[in-house]
Amino acid sequence: MVRRPRLSRTVLAVAAVCAALLSGCDGRLLEKLFTPPPGPTPIRIGLLHSQTGTMAISETGLRDAEELALLEIDAAGGLLGHPVEAVIEDGRSRSADIFPRRARKLLSEDKVFALFGGWTSDSRKAMAPIIAEAKSLLFYAVQYEGNECAEGVIYTGSTPNQQILPALDWFLGDAGGRRRRFYLIGSDYVYPRTANYVARKYLASKGVEVVGEAYVPLGSHDFRRPIAELRGTNPDVVLSTINGDSNVDFYAELAKQGVGPDELPVVATSIGENEIRSLLPSQVAGQWVLANYFQSIDTPANRAFVDAFRSEFGLDRVTDDPMESAYVAVKLWKLGVERAGTTDPQTVLAALSKGASIEGPGGTVRFDPRTRHLAKKFRLGLVREDRQIAVVHESPEPIEPDPYPAFAFPGWRCDWTQGPPVAGAPIDLSAGSTPGR
Amino acid sequence: MVSWIFDVPTWEFAALTSGAFILFSWLGAIFARPILRPLLGGRSSLNDIVGYILSIFGVFYGLLLGLLAVAAYQGYGTTQGIVAKEASSLAALRRDIAAYPEPERQNLTWLLRDYTRYVVKQAWPLQQRGIVPKGGDVRMTAFQERLLRFQPMTAAEEVMHAETLRQFNVYYEARRMRLQSVGTSIPGTMWYVVFLGAIANLVLVWLFDMSLLSHLFLGGLLAAFLGAMIFLIADMDNPFRGAVSLSAAPFEPILSDLMED
Repeated sequence: MVRRPRLSRTVLAVAAVCAALLSGCDGRLLEKLFTPPPGPTPIRIGLLHSQTGTMAISETGLRDAEELALLEIDAAGGLLGHPVEAVIEDGRSRSADIFPRRARKLLSEDKVFALFGGWTSDSRKAMAPIIAEAKSLLFYAVQYEGNECAEGVIYTGSTPNQQILPALDWFLGDAGGRRRRFYLIGSDYVYPRTANYVARKYLASKGVEVVGEAYVPLGSHDFRRPIAELRGTNPDVVLSTINGDSNVDFYAELAKQGVGPDELPVVATSIGENEIRSLLPSQVAGQWVLANYFQSIDTPANRAFVDAFRSEFGLDRVTDDPMESAYVAVKLWKLGVERAGTTDPQTVLAALSKGASIEGPGGTVRFDPRTRHLAKKFRLGLVREDRQIAVVHESPEPIEPDPYPAFAFPGWRCDWTQGPPVAGAPIDLSAGSTPGR
Repeated sequence: MVSWIFDVPTWEFAALTSGAFILFSWLGAIFARPILRPLLGGRSSLNDIVGYILSIFGVFYGLLLGLLAVAAYQGYGTTQGIVAKEASSLAALRRDIAAYPEPERQNLTWLLRDYTRYVVKQAWPLQQRGIVPKGGDVRMTAFQERLLRFQPMTAAEEVMHAETLRQFNVYYEARRMRLQSVGTSIPGTMWYVVFLGAIANLVLVWLFDMSLLSHLFLGGLLAAFLGAMIFLIADMDNPFRGAVSLSAAPFEPILSDLMED
């Protein structure tokens, strides 16, 4: 005789089987069974550059160079056994509000271990307090004005004594035509004003006259009047610290007014191959550029860098000085992480401070633990018809960085091995300036 | 639907779905059937009643599965159309900017290449993980900014510029539609109905008065088919995920062309 089972037991049994299947449908059980074990957690770093707005013309290349360095790190097996992942944000060419906001987001929400970013000094100065507060690291890859030694900032671009001052020496000497009438023009923000202050002080120490000085708003596109004023002062060389896509309009207007390099050479600190590509050869060939790196440097390391960059980003892409610095910055951080055995920013900084050098595309650069800048070579270049830059002169050895040259910043000192920077006498950046007519 | 299934290889997922249903069917046939049948009285006419109910139920359930399969396939097809439209309008945009004078032509080409490279190398892998890629926005904005800076100097340039702007808008619209389709899928509630229906189907089969071997064979066959149908719908459900998914292939020739430009 078959015993009739109790209803509740049967229903429970069926319900249990159904529940098991449905729980599989929901996925928790099966997910545990079938999901492959997670790979190593990516090490995240932040890339914060202007990809839109007036600075995009310059800064997008930095993002690409940093991405290339990261691709190379990952292709070589990652870092400490982890892949490296970039979290990329757009600074939108707005130094005052977007840069600090995005920097804070990258550090606090995305939990990046280091930040690579900025171009304008305003953007760097806006990010620096956030970096110091988070005890993180900011790698800043662009040549700048000095007068700064911010906590947590590693400067892989050059200071004026590595770029502007050697160029002034060259133009004052026989090779440069013994120029004596300098005109200073720049975008109106902290870098051009401070760089021109340093140049003015340096020229004054050599007994040389600055015949005029003018500033245009960052992002300015109308240079008719500034160039007319500049010509009115009859200079024999112009030092340009104009930044961003204003450079395109500046050189175009020079060409339009028939001012060629033979009549009036322009020596620019903030343009490179990347900006020059937006100009016609007739507008820019024969003009001068100051940098630590040019794409035309004929060394195996640079050829490999240029080839790798082009195969990744396009055969007609160009590399320039800040891009090389940005690439070196990522490699320097990698070296620090490897030596420290951790991504902790302060430990990485301590590891780098024991002494580090990198064989970059532009040659050997050495990390200076006192100033947290790089010792690097100076190069003076002349723009060719193919919009590449030929090296006319280069320093025989890397030049030590000096963010506070004594003639311009008396009493100021930066030596992190001894402690925080020491402030000297107050500085008046407009002292001794001669406004353009 | 749970997202982890897209990370499992196709054959594993198909085997898992069918296998789970077969196992459920067999376990029921072995353990639940001896209990359920006497519970319902064990009359000889029960097979006719169960057969009648199963056939009615099968029609409705079959309709549900069929409609879902069609909806999933149509969703896949629609997204495929969107991607094709996006790629063709990108190719057209690429041809339009080739007509610009230097240096605008080169600047626009570089920006469009940057965008296309992002779509192929970074956006697509993110979409395949069910993440809506965000990095394209900034690259599109950079391209648009540059495009809007161009000042036509001749009537021909005015016409060309207007056409490029129109093409840009066509492209932008297709791009938005693609991004919107990244997260579209059959709602989770619907999946519960599908699974409950499948279970009900198999439970009804257990009620048939057959030998155990017949149960294992016929029930297993039905379970395997149900599992295969559900696998098919699930795999086609999200057009960017899993083995049956859209690749970045339509964009790759454009990127290759732009890289060598």
